[in-house]
Amino acid sequence: MKNTILETISLNKWYRDPVDFQALKNVTLQIERGEFVSIMGSSGSGKSTLLYVLSTLDTDYTGKIIFDGQDLSVISPNRQAEIRNEKIGFVFQFHYLLPEFTVLENVSLPALKLGKFTHDQIESIALEKLSLLGLQDQAMKKANKLSGGQQQRVAIARALINNPSIIFGDEPTGNLDSKNSQNVFDLFKELQHELKQTICIVTHDINLAGQTDRTISLHDGEIVKP
Amino acid sequence: MELEKTINWSNDALRMRFKNPVFKIAITHLLAKKRQTFVAMLGVTFGIMVFIFQAGLITGFQDTFIEQTINTTANIHIYNEPDRNRPSILASIEADTTRWITVRNQKPKDEKNKIRNAYQIIALLEQHPGVAGVSPFLGTQAILRSGIVQYGGRIAGIDVDKEDLVFHVSDYMTQGDIQRLKTINNGIILGEGLAENLGVKMNDNVSVIATNGTTLDMKVVGINRTGLTEVDRSRAYISIRNARVLLNVDNAYLTDINIKLKDINEAEQLAMEFEKRFGYKAEDWKKANSNIFGVFKIQNMVTYLIIVSILIVSGFGIFNILMMIIYEKLPDIAILKAIGYKNKDIKMIFMIESLAIGITGGLTGLLFGFLLTKFIGSIPLNIKGFVSMKYLEFNSSPAFYIFAFFFALIATALAGYFPARKAAKFDPVDIIRSK
Ligand SMILES: Nc1ncnc2c1ncn2[C@@H]1O[C@H](COP(=O)(O)OP(=O)(O)O)[C@@H](O)[C@H]1O
Ligand SMILES: [Mg+2]
Repeated sequence: MKNTILETISLNKWYRDPVDFQALKNVTLQIERGEFVSIMGSSGSGKSTLLYVLSTLDTDYTGKIIFDGQDLSVISPNRQAEIRNEKIGFVFQFHYLLPEFTVLENVSLPALKLGKFTHDQIESIALEKLSLLGLQDQAMKKANKLSGGQQQRVAIARALINNPSIIFGDEPTGNLDSKNSQNVFDLFKELQHELKQTICIVTHDINLAGQTDRTISLHDGEIVKP
Repeated sequence: MELEKTINWSNDALRMRFKNPVFKIAITHLLAKKRQTFVAMLGVTFGIMVFIFQAGLITGFQDTFIEQTINTTANIHIYNEPDRNRPSILASIEADTTRWITVRNQKPKDEKNKIRNAYQIIALLEQHPGVAGVSPFLGTQAILRSGIVQYGGRIAGIDVDKEDLVFHVSDYMTQGDIQRLKTINNGIILGEGLAENLGVKMNDNVSVIATNGTTLDMKVVGINRTGLTEVDRSRAYISIRNARVLLNVDNAYLTDINIKLKDINEAEQLAMEFEKRFGYKAEDWKKANSNIFGVFKIQNMVTYLIIVSILIVSGFGIFNILMMIIYEKLPDIAILKAIGYKNKDIKMIFMIESLAIGITGGLTGLLFGFLLTKFIGSIPLNIKGFVSMKYLEFNSSPAFYIFAFFFALIATALAGYFPARKAAKFDPVDIIRSK
């Protein structure tokens, strides 16, 4: 039996500025729990747009998104923030770490917002995630003192801290060389295998996409059948 | 386990600081811009310091003036207001307007300032429950002369005991004794400024020349200083008996009745009551000094304008630094929102920043303002303005400091609110796309 975590029905998205432009056309898709999905498509095909819509960051669309049994199109902005905090992990092309804060603090940020655990518990969970990514030695370093590959792995640890239902990555390896890209990608695969983590990433790299369970191809805002 | 070891790295201080990430993010932002933050803080410090100093000085001065006025002048003053619009005496008997008639001195002389039945009125006033004391008074203009120096002065003919009881004249004697007006037949007590102008000391002789030409040779038996410069420069006390001799008037002659009240706040209402009851002009102390209170109002307005404008300027300083931080930290704002921080959390970060500037700037402003008033207040200046005082008297009531501090908080909160709201409104997708 299928166990769907995320499902969309006829998503349409228009940009009004500078001209009317339809960035998503009738996008209907499902992602199953534990699945590692990649989204591919040429530049401008709407991959980022789709990811932002799926993750509640962009709410200006028509159609339906059911996430973890909840209709995302009918909830308040504050509730959307809570869903992002609790159930969604983000990894962007750029790491977006707070440069003046330590690695440990950066990783703890979503958990501190969630407030479900004590500060001590959060610290040990953060350290646990960091050691999962081989970064336990870096915990007390300032985030801006790390290499690009390390910073991206810290960003993944941050995405993991609240044990999200899904991790979205928008070209998470786009800024890394091929060796580091493969490392980070291997990490995602490990997360999937060991934590049964659901992952959905946008990538340009056909080689990396080939290593995922399934690839969704976008062309001019439409899903193309393989 | 290896984890255990890593946990030991983190010290308690860090833990404390990081309990509330919003707070730490705000402080981190400010520390990353130490110089600009310091300048913005200085703006607030300066505004509050100037306020504490300026408003403290002005209200301190005003309070001194009011206190000295209440202590040394009548709370209510009854006198015979010369009727300025009295019709011409001849107009009533001479209807023919084609002829010129010249009348000299239609204005009544001193005689017309007389309060009839003055001593009966005093007796009645002394029975009044709101009245603390009543002092009879005979006032006139006169010229005081010592050798070739002469000055105009206001002669105050007083009943020594009553005047002292009501106005505590003896408290304001710098030399001599008010009682000597009774024991020395031709004694006179001069205001400090008047004595200085005439160049006379204790026991010197002074001639007092009334407007009718009568001259009395008097002996200085005391010098008196109220601190009200105008009063000290013109007033001379003599006994009421000598004043009557000077004016050549009868034994019941009085020009004024000075009243001290039990409750100063009843002055206006009781003045109205007495005016109606006795048919003479009764003026309360506030009305008598209304021009000065008008000046006070303007002074206070200027003071508040000054602090408002300084705080507006420092408000812009805070606004600027926050906008600078916000644009520099757009990626931070984007990721915080992406990982679930709400608009109000983002707003809070920047409100904390502006309030941190306001609180630290405000507190140092209070401290420096306080120190400045203490320092300036300790320099002997011998000021002679409306009031004369050796040292500047600053109002340093706590209410004053609390008001200044809250004013700083409100100003900085306002200055921070608009940038904070703007920061909260940024769309994280726009920020992420533009990276
Ligand atoms: N804020 C925007 N306003 C107008 N058009 C936009 C905006 N963002 C993206 N687009 C357009 O939408 C299309 C899809 O963009 P995007 O989702 O970023 O594609 P991809 O991530 O696949 O490169 C592009 O043609 C892009 O120019
Ligand atoms: Mg993209």
